[in-house]
Amino acid sequence: MENSTKQQIIEDLLPQKFGKQGKIWVVGLSLLCILGAVAYVRQLSKGLIVTSMRDYASWGIYISNFVFFVAISLVGSLITAVLRLTNVKWSTPLTRIAEIIAVSAITFASLIIIVDMGRPDRFYNLFIHGRLQSPIVWDVIVITTYFFISILLLYFPLLPDLQIMIGLKSKTSNFLHKLYVFLGSYWKNTPQQIHISEKAISIMAITIIPVAFAIHTVTSWLFATTYRPGWDSTNFGAYFISGAFLVGAGSVLIAMYVFRTHYNLQKYITNDHFDRMGKVVVMLALLYLYFNVNEFLVPAFKMKKPEEEHLRGLFTGEYAGIFWFAITTAMIIPIVILLFKKGRKPLPAFIAGILVVIGSWFKRYLIVTPTLLHPFLPMRDVPESYKHYFPSWEEWSIAIGSLAGALLVITIFARIFPIIPIQETITENEQHEKA
Amino acid sequence: MKTNENSRREFITSGLLASLAIAGCAVKSNPFEPDATAAVGVQPTGEKVKLLSVNGEVIEVDKAFLKPVPDLPTITNAAARVGIAGKKFVMVIDLSRCKSLKKCQSACNHAHQLNPGQNWIKVYPMQDAEHTAPYWEPTTCMHCDEPPCVKVCPVDATFKRQDGIVLIDSDRCIGCRFCMAACPYSSRVFNWEENTTVSKETAAQPYSCETSIPQKKGTVSKCDFCPDMVRKGELPHCVSACPNGVFMFGDILEDTVTNGTETFRFSELMRDKAGYRLMEDLGTKPSVYYLPPVNRNFPYENKEETTK
Amino acid sequence: MKKHNLVSIALILFSCISFASFAQTAAAKKDLVVKLHYFNNNNQMQYLVADTKTKVDGKFQVVPGVTLRFFISGDTTAANYLGSCVTNAKGKALLLIPALAKQEWNKSAIQSFQVISPATKEYEDTKADVSITKAKIKIDTLADRKITAVVMELKDTVWTPVKGVDLKIAIRRLGGDLNVSETQTYTSDSLGMVNAEFKRDSLPGDAKGVLTLVAKAEDNDTYGNISAEIPAAWGVPTTYNSPYDRRTLFARRGHSPIWLELMAYSIIVAVWGVLIYLFIQVRKLKKIGLSA
Repeated sequence: MENSTKQQIIEDLLPQKFGKQGKIWVVGLSLLCILGAVAYVRQLSKGLIVTSMRDYASWGIYISNFVFFVAISLVGSLITAVLRLTNVKWSTPLTRIAEIIAVSAITFASLIIIVDMGRPDRFYNLFIHGRLQSPIVWDVIVITTYFFISILLLYFPLLPDLQIMIGLKSKTSNFLHKLYVFLGSYWKNTPQQIHISEKAISIMAITIIPVAFAIHTVTSWLFATTYRPGWDSTNFGAYFISGAFLVGAGSVLIAMYVFRTHYNLQKYITNDHFDRMGKVVVMLALLYLYFNVNEFLVPAFKMKKPEEEHLRGLFTGEYAGIFWFAITTAMIIPIVILLFKKGRKPLPAFIAGILVVIGSWFKRYLIVTPTLLHPFLPMRDVPESYKHYFPSWEEWSIAIGSLAGALLVITIFARIFPIIPIQETITENEQHEKA
Repeated sequence: MKTNENSRREFITSGLLASLAIAGCAVKSNPFEPDATAAVGVQPTGEKVKLLSVNGEVIEVDKAFLKPVPDLPTITNAAARVGIAGKKFVMVIDLSRCKSLKKCQSACNHAHQLNPGQNWIKVYPMQDAEHTAPYWEPTTCMHCDEPPCVKVCPVDATFKRQDGIVLIDSDRCIGCRFCMAACPYSSRVFNWEENTTVSKETAAQPYSCETSIPQKKGTVSKCDFCPDMVRKGELPHCVSACPNGVFMFGDILEDTVTNGTETFRFSELMRDKAGYRLMEDLGTKPSVYYLPPVNRNFPYENKEETTK
Repeated sequence: MKKHNLVSIALILFSCISFASFAQTAAAKKDLVVKLHYFNNNNQMQYLVADTKTKVDGKFQVVPGVTLRFFISGDTTAANYLGSCVTNAKGKALLLIPALAKQEWNKSAIQSFQVISPATKEYEDTKADVSITKAKIKIDTLADRKITAVVMELKDTVWTPVKGVDLKIAIRRLGGDLNVSETQTYTSDSLGMVNAEFKRDSLPGDAKGVLTLVAKAEDNDTYGNISAEIPAAWGVPTTYNSPYDRRTLFARRGHSPIWLELMAYSIIVAVWGVLIYLFIQVRKLKKIGLSA
């Protein structure tokens, strides 16, 4: 009986070949990536002139996208580390989903920041001339560190599953089998190995939390270390981190729903998971809302002269539409949906997740652009086009291409590796039955 | 420190030394020849130039002592990063004299071959509050003593020199534009595309931090206080281009600023006209001082407003 | 002789910035206005400066990139040729008077110079001249911070004091000269002498407080621009400790504040220590697995 359950679990959780839908999805994402690549080649040859960024709006949606990716990548630490350390057992099936989202997002965060550079050919200057005083150098250091920890945190729990996959040679293609052997043939499930691995995972779960906080705090400091209205805030680190946890948790809701329906994992990603994850998202949305109130109400109460134009632009001016859209979609509506038990069912939770992610993307746009277009001295002695910012098609293509790329990485990972940890599910199932 | 003093003296008194060197090496005909013990610092190059004195005698002058300075040796990137020893440059902008002729701007744009449409010098129509007086405010790079742009540069592409000038190495800049976000004075511009208006000869030149030429695609640029002109003992382009003498430039260690025609003691100017700096509350400590727009030479006229 | 020419050609004041952008394809040739000025610094270094201008849309503009040929005396013969120079970005060309002019110079107390701009694609040929009486200034310092200067001109072969010449007495400063007192100019008396008082209290000098005083006649119709300098230790000794080498947030690479380095490096070492430990664990797992 026990053995057959185990067989069943393995059967259910094995990576599956792409169906028709899957193929369309992969081709679609690839096309978007190619379009982004084409746009980037244009940018490389003509320079950043192909973007709509100019001297005042000197950063645009590349930087918004960068902040967005860094934010999403924090989810790895939230689900895997925070929940693991607090001994939350229900999160087990979600850990790998969260980790691959983290790895994929942090990879594309690094790529998009290179895309934003005027001279990507001089990227190596960061290493040969790097100045410790610059927050950009701090960001390079913490992002690299976070990338490696995330990779390790993905890799260690994968080892037992790799052993299972190697054992199922008949069901996998030759290429994948070779890959599994290359990555994990040395895992023999010996008690000693299990002990080392578990210890390593606990150490990582602790280490990744400060590093995750560091990546997003340092990212917020790229803004907060300047004088500009809207950025000059001591609240910024916490504001960014709470926002990051929210968008990360929202993206996990989406991924849970997609994998559950697509791979028929209803037994493993249950309604209970959506219920609990929904509660987490409500809590995070409320937290982010709290920081938003701090971030806008306090300066708005004083209305210092440099802040005034910026805040009025957001509340009632040219950015009011996007501002209130972002606040309602990223926080208010998801809170309302997920507060109700019925709202925490898979489909409404999925929709809430989508709203959170879309709203959060526009929130990042609002963090970057309006501030730059409200400098201390009025905009002056520049061509008219310098005074506004709306991304060019190249910027949209590259931004969308990078998002598609991140999704593609996640999709391909799920094609190659079990997206829900098989061994851990089996172990938990055994413990459950014993109890 | 000793070397610093030497080179400082070298810079200030090179004109004087020229005459000393002449007196020392050729005909001792000058009855007012100064005390030769003052001669220190300048290293002769050994390359002599034969010149004619007013007395009709041939004199030999070492190239290093020539004044006015002939073709200067090219400054190495390392030397351009350190700056001129014993100098601390300062600019004074007299708002009571500005009528927004923008001669400063065109001279600057021309000398630094900026992209069309971009300006290092901007002339703002300012009015602080509804009932206060409008005035023109030209801005350059403030060459802050605690420059926020330099703080954030990840690769030392923009740097603060010992003479107080903040420059950009366009061969180093990675184009991250963090400095542009950090500068509260909006003084930095970015070369979004290859400058097509620039001549081939200029484009082929190696980049010099001191001339900021040629501008390079994908890098940041800004007002450089024209250290190349200063090395030649001349004034920055904006200073000499302004017909109203709005800009004054000098060395705060000499306590003197000049617009070319008038020369003032810097401290007296500050004291008598209540000079100030922009956005003092930010703590950036600019090197550019402003004189308030009182007792103006011209009434304020904004043609853009009337035509609109 | 050739060698001197080359040297004087080399004495171009500015490294030439590109001039090609000025090459306009004007149908009609424009008039070039050239002015020639004579300078004599410290009675030793003599040089000529030529200014070029042209009228564009009714406004005068400087003309960079014009080759000018300089001559001594009225004849533009090869014997009188001093050298040539290209105008810089400010439309100026400078030529130090070379030794080869000696014979012609010594012929007369009154001298003239000529500058010729040969016709180019854009401009008509043009010339300008300047005529000066040889003159020099002697400057001296007296007790109680007083300065005296004497203007003398060459009459036949004798240096004779001149009356009625306007002189400025100033302190050499970067880019301009600061008057020693409120008086703008002093006019020489019958002995060719002016007396000035140094009234710039506590003016910074060099490290020893030395200032360079200058007496000069500017754009004088008869004498051109003549000046003389003398050092005087009447300033406040000034040294400057630049914060360049201090450890600050705005200093260069390798000069970050100690607290920052301590914080950053201790965090990096701690976190990467853990990471390296983890990589070692992977190796360990491999070893165990391969031996099992």
